[in-house]
Amino acid sequence: MKKGFALLETIIVITFVSVSLLLLYGTFTSLVQNSKRNILYDDVSHIYQLYYFKEYLEMVGLNEMSTKEIRLLSCDDFSTSSCSTLTEEFGITQFYLVPMGNRGEQENDAMYSYLSTLPHDQDYDYWLVGEFLEEDTYHFASIGVMHDE
Amino acid sequence: MSKKGFTILELLISLVLVSIVLLLLLRVMMSLEVINHDTTYASDDEIARTELIQNIESDFLENHLNGLQITQNEDQINFSFLMDQEKELVVEKEQITYDGEVYALKSSNASYDLCITYQYQELENDYYLVTFTIPVLIDGVNTTKMDDLQFTYLGLKNEYTHYPSSFSC
Repeated sequence: MKKGFALLETIIVITFVSVSLLLLYGTFTSLVQNSKRNILYDDVSHIYQLYYFKEYLEMVGLNEMSTKEIRLLSCDDFSTSSCSTLTEEFGITQFYLVPMGNRGEQENDAMYSYLSTLPHDQDYDYWLVGEFLEEDTYHFASIGVMHDE
Repeated sequence: MSKKGFTILELLISLVLVSIVLLLLLRVMMSLEVINHDTTYASDDEIARTELIQNIESDFLENHLNGLQITQNEDQINFSFLMDQEKELVVEKEQITYDGEVYALKSSNASYDLCITYQYQELENDYYLVTFTIPVLIDGVNTTKMDDLQFTYLGLKNEYTHYPSSFSC
């Protein structure tokens, strides 16, 4: 007569516990990811910097630009040397014009991960998305842009 | 012959399985450790930082910032913002006071650095850019969060515009 656990019993219990712990791991991992996302996205000071940047670019033709795809902009697209001063001062490394609702397809890219969190705002035609470099870490922020017909 | 417990093989298999589970748990704990580092700077202070930046930037936009003055004493820095309605920002090591409202740091390991950075730059078409940053010092923690208070104003020059060209602490 057996008085302890059989190997089969032990394995069943351990498998059950492992599955439970793996489910917990999945939950914690998504929490960790969400927390990292909150840290890197839409900081209040970046939003104001991007607001002023957008205001300035609108004076030099941002509203007249149109695109159906996500467009990487550069200061060469605008006839003002102050654009470079602003990007340098704000720490903007890249800036994009993103049609409302376009979230791109390259899911592993940090910028496209950020785009997937943006809502569809019907008041605007585009998002102006800025990539900011702060102490070796890339942060993202965005602001709505209206298109002038 | 009847068995009275585990055999050595059963114990070994169990130990291997438990070890695998513990290794997975260890990975989770390491991830949580990173988050813990980031949250050491109290979330209350993060909220206060957001609120303060939002209040000041809203005032800049609504009341049209025309200039500012900066004075430094031994233990505080005073900003006087020349807007439609003049407002004061006082920075001390443990707290910031803006327009009479006090924002005190709750993190025991954090303090405001009184060595601020300030810049005034002229842009094309009579525009100018003012930026100033109040650094936040946090002992022993490297955060990936934005802790410093960064302020920005883009304005159009007029006869009342008056800013210091530079400031050094």
